[in-house]
Amino acid sequence: MTQILLATVLGTLFALGTFLVLRRDVVRVVWGIAIIGQSANLYLVTMGGLSGGAPIASHGAHGFAEQPTDPLVQALVLTAIVIGFGTTAFALVLTYRVYEEHGTIDTYKLGGEGS
Amino acid sequence: MRFLRVLAMAALVAGLVVAVAGSLAYSLVIAPLLVALATAVVTLLARPWPRLGRALSVLGAGGYAIAVAALVEAVLLPLSSDPAVLTYQVSDWNAPFGITAVADPLSAFMLALAAVVVVPALVFSVLYVDEHGQALSYHPLFHFMLVGVSGSFLTGDLFNLFVWFEVMLMSSYVLVVFYSGPQHTRAALQYVVLNLVGSGVMLVAIGGLYSTTGTLNMADMARRLADPGAFGVDPAPVLGLSAVLFAVFALKAGVVPFQFWVPAAYRAAPAPVAAVLAGVVKKVGIYAVIRLYFTVFAAATIDVSLPGIAGDSVLAFYGPVLFAMAAGSILLGGVGAVARDDFEEMLAFSSIGQVGFIVLPLAMAASVAVPVAGPFASVRSLGIAAALVYSLNHAVAKGTLFMAAGATWSATGTVDLDRLGGLSESAPVLSGSVFVAGIALVGVPPVVGFFGKFLVFDAAFRSGSWLAVAVALGGAVLTIAYVTRLWNRGFWGDPGEAVGEVPPRGQVAVVGLLAAALLAIGIGFDPVFRAAGAAAEAALDRGEYIEAVEPRRYSGDGGEDHATLLLVAATGGGTARRRVRAALGRVRTTFDGAPSAVVGGSTYDTDGGSTPDHDEGSDADREVVDR
Repeated sequence: MTQILLATVLGTLFALGTFLVLRRDVVRVVWGIAIIGQSANLYLVTMGGLSGGAPIASHGAHGFAEQPTDPLVQALVLTAIVIGFGTTAFALVLTYRVYEEHGTIDTYKLGGEGS
Repeated sequence: MRFLRVLAMAALVAGLVVAVAGSLAYSLVIAPLLVALATAVVTLLARPWPRLGRALSVLGAGGYAIAVAALVEAVLLPLSSDPAVLTYQVSDWNAPFGITAVADPLSAFMLALAAVVVVPALVFSVLYVDEHGQALSYHPLFHFMLVGVSGSFLTGDLFNLFVWFEVMLMSSYVLVVFYSGPQHTRAALQYVVLNLVGSGVMLVAIGGLYSTTGTLNMADMARRLADPGAFGVDPAPVLGLSAVLFAVFALKAGVVPFQFWVPAAYRAAPAPVAAVLAGVVKKVGIYAVIRLYFTVFAAATIDVSLPGIAGDSVLAFYGPVLFAMAAGSILLGGVGAVARDDFEEMLAFSSIGQVGFIVLPLAMAASVAVPVAGPFASVRSLGIAAALVYSLNHAVAKGTLFMAAGATWSATGTVDLDRLGGLSESAPVLSGSVFVAGIALVGVPPVVGFFGKFLVFDAAFRSGSWLAVAVALGGAVLTIAYVTRLWNRGFWGDPGEAVGEVPPRGQVAVVGLLAAALLAIGIGFDPVFRAAGAAAEAALDRGEYIEAVEPRRYSGDGGEDHATLLLVAATGGGTARRRVRAALGRVRTTFDGAPSAVVGGSTYDTDGGSTPDHDEGSDADREVVDR
């Protein structure tokens, strides 16, 4: 059940991200990238298997977890989230800069040569 | 105040020297990485003192060259004997538990290529980029980009490759938008958005590969794919997942149909940065394709049957795909370059076409593996060697040309070919260098480009694909056309309206030096050729790669992965159970280990499964956890 739910959520998120990336408004494009990045992270967590307890040493009955879930993907996702945070921040700053220099954040109006 | 300043300078210089010497003594494998990282940090600290920062930056680039040279010497130089494969296990966690850095002939070759372009590009930057820009953050960014490039060449871990890609890209984003004019922000926005989407796609592919194979270590993945039964791995999804990953590498390499960001980004970036982007950063994509597809994914026996494609390896699929991309790049890049009136834009389109020439022999290598006479065992190693030699040629030649365009800009204030002309009279050395780099792209002896083109054609002929020969011929004709056009309009004939001032001597000297390097590599080609051959053999010698990385065998009966085992090690044993729901079927494994055994140093194999090649000796001297 969790798997079907997550698959649906993942599909929806990727679709939403793609939709936003294809918008004319640059800010929406940045949102789209952020959503695609987050859905990739969610996908990574899903790949580690969903069942099992928290992989924390002192979580279980005998000082270790019973049936812990895969902690590696969670470590990977932490790294990916940090990277995503940095790049999204940069993309937003860049968007502001584009607005300052072109007076618009409409990609159609940005598109022409020499504008 | 003055005392403090002198003290800070002395500390920074000493820090850099200690970092360079220390990393060389500590581990040759990661020495290039450490040197570049130390330089980036030190130049960041030296921002209040611009002149010191510049000096440190050049010093660091020199240190990088030394580190790479030492590594190349250790890995490649006994050219007669077998080349070595050096590894470095981060924090002494053996593969596949920790991150592994691997320096084999292929990595060494790529690092040498990077060093040859990056060091002159940095010296050129010091002379070219305005003082204010350099004082801002140019040097730290440049070196961070170098860190990312070196890390990508050295890592033996798939997720780590993603991280190095990001390190490289983040600095390149800022470097592309460095001049921050309207044109530049627009180009950078496009570049950033594309690469961020690429990063998301790469993560998805890596996640899928992890869940399919249960590992991220490249050597371990190759081993598991080669013997899927023993590890309980189903290799079938690898084809699709590797195709998703392939799109990301093609985006990085700027191959058709992922080429559209190239011209805008290269035009926006400062000339020396464009030289590094075209010369080195693009090659990271090529390297990743060679390393992952030929060394790792080709290990799997997968029944490939698509319309028109049939075979038992992923390479059967990538042969036609690579060929179509190469042909598209060669033709589109060539035609685009012929039609441009702007020096830098022409170079950008030319680099799309030239990457096609690098991918073409790879396509041959992927589709044909017949043995051939001569120094190479098969068309496969010949194709990879051709791609490597051509990469080197393109890196140096395009580096020369982009910096020549920069020097032209310094002298005339334009790179518009309509306003240039007759530069050969006012700037003979610069023009001579452009000429040498131009004939290197065309492939005229004695420049190294001749050997590059020759090997590409050789691979096409020997694979018996006349279509490939025709495409390469067409591309060669287009190359001649645009190089001739560049020469005629920019450097020959009457002086254009913008021509008059002599370009700065320092910049011309750097360009001339790189052009001389093209000639020198061409004349003394034999060692380069043998190094490329050794690199190609290393890329195909999966057994040697796995043996060198030596991923520990911890699974006799199926799907545990290192996450579980790390946990076991960290918690002192007990019962750890993990369920993997892979794309096909469900693998369920149980692990039982006694805590005492784990603390004692002999780990997870105590009763976990049958491990025929388990080595007790190496276990004993490995400290797992000391709680």
